Amino acid sequence: MDEYDAVVGGYDLSIGYERDNVLLSDINLSLKPGEIVAINGASGIGKTTLLRTFAGLLNPLEGTVNIFGKIKADRGEIGYIPQRLGLIRHASVHHNVMMGAKAGHTSAWFPFSRVCKTHTLEAIESVGLMHKLRTPIRKLSGGQQRRVAVARTLAQKPRLILADEFLAELDEETLNMVMQKVLDYVKESNAIMILVEHDFERAMQMADRLFTAVGDKLVEIIASEE
Amino acid sequence: MSKLPEGAELEKKTNHLLNAWFQWRYPMIFFTLLVLAIGVTNSIIEGNWQKLFESPGNIRTFFYESLWPPDWSVIEPQAYPVCEEPKHLDFTCSTAWIGVLETLKIAFVATVFGMVISYPIAILAAENLSPGWISYPARTLLAASRSLPSILWAILFVIMVGLGPMAGILAMTLYTVGYLGKLQYEAIEGVAKPQLDASRAMGHGWFERSFGVVLPESANNLISQAIFMFEYNFRHGTVIGIVGAGGIGYYINLYLKFLQYDKVFAYVIIIFIVVILLDQLSKLVRSFFKDDKQPNRPPWWSGLFLPAGWTRNLLKKKD
Repeated sequence: MDEYDAVVGGYDLSIGYERDNVLLSDINLSLKPGEIVAINGASGIGKTTLLRTFAGLLNPLEGTVNIFGKIKADRGEIGYIPQRLGLIRHASVHHNVMMGAKAGHTSAWFPFSRVCKTHTLEAIESVGLMHKLRTPIRKLSGGQQRRVAVARTLAQKPRLILADEFLAELDEETLNMVMQKVLDYVKESNAIMILVEHDFERAMQMADRLFTAVGDKLVEIIASEE
Repeated sequence: MSKLPEGAELEKKTNHLLNAWFQWRYPMIFFTLLVLAIGVTNSIIEGNWQKLFESPGNIRTFFYESLWPPDWSVIEPQAYPVCEEPKHLDFTCSTAWIGVLETLKIAFVATVFGMVISYPIAILAAENLSPGWISYPARTLLAASRSLPSILWAILFVIMVGLGPMAGILAMTLYTVGYLGKLQYEAIEGVAKPQLDASRAMGHGWFERSFGVVLPESANNLISQAIFMFEYNFRHGTVIGIVGAGGIGYYINLYLKFLQYDKVFAYVIIIFIVVILLDQLSKLVRSFFKDDKQPNRPPWWSGLFLPAGWTRNLLKKKD
């Protein structure tokens, strides 16, 4: 297997929405399986744009993105938790989590499998929302909605998790529980996680490496112990 | 020289003209449009405003001489065919009942068929789901089917399939596809970006995204539009009946020909009542998709008998 097939990275990346308004430039980072990288920095500096570029929602202005040896991920390889969660408001908790499971365990041509149901229920159980199984998302609190978004990603079992402030609005107890679930998943399945996190201490607690955006550069402020 | 306070200093730096424009732009645009509309009206009626002020007198004369009181014989059973219903149900043999029921049936069938056909086209037409080379032809198709009003489609279908409700169903289905399709693709384009982003990043296919994400996410709008369309089709069902496409319009046309405006007025009142009932029903159905309105949801039967607001007030008083 090629060394690039196992890693996620960006090489000489410049990102932004317009060519004459580059948000971050000369980004070089490579993430190994099981690694968690946190990014923090001021608002509007380009952290979310970086996640969107890795998610394949935005083309880099310059440079290359490598997602397990490809420039674009295969179906189900990326689990994305946007800042506003991206949940389907009028659909139930079960439906939302099932959409993650389908992406991770079925093909686009035949998105039906019994396995999905098992993964869906396991993920909902793991975030403690079994009693809200059929409740529409719009009727849940902000914290519960975050747990559903995490459950969707856990049910999907992606190789790369991109999470944009996914622990906001959670109470201390739930935050620790959800954080532990995600950490356990990343370590057990050797997945890679890139998270945008404003809370410096929490970022330190979760991540192996910490980057911060200063000006238009991404600076590694805490490197891996290796 | 005394130092200006901070707020005033900041104000000095801003452009007053630009501030005034941002503060007053909406009233100014509205006022300009209003003046423009009055100007256009003036040019159309060639400055003859007198006509407008004379019209209330005309309508008063017409109302008292021809419309009032309405002739409620339209809810009595027809002489032929002989009514075989029991006495308390004999109104079901009346032209009003038969006409309203037929119009409701045409509207219902046209709305359901129209909705089923229009949703896939609307998905193709939505720019956030389909590329331009698919969305523009789909939009053209929808625009073509609503470019003719339903009454003209009805005339064409009466020529094709003959007089009767079939022509009405075909005409209204076609018009529903165009009209509802436009509302639907606009609702689909209004689906928030994070939902589609999450779906794209996960790798969902077009089919899953359209039916698993967009359909439930825009359900509230789609249902509300479908109910609106049903109500719209009912109202228009009365018009297309005039060209022979079935429903209550057939009877309205019949009595218009005989200048029996008091009977026509009775039909108009019946149509008005049915439209109000449909509006209440639509409120009730939509309340199931709105969390914020849930505590005020009226009981299920209220939509059928009473305006939702009245029921709520009655129930409140009882408590």
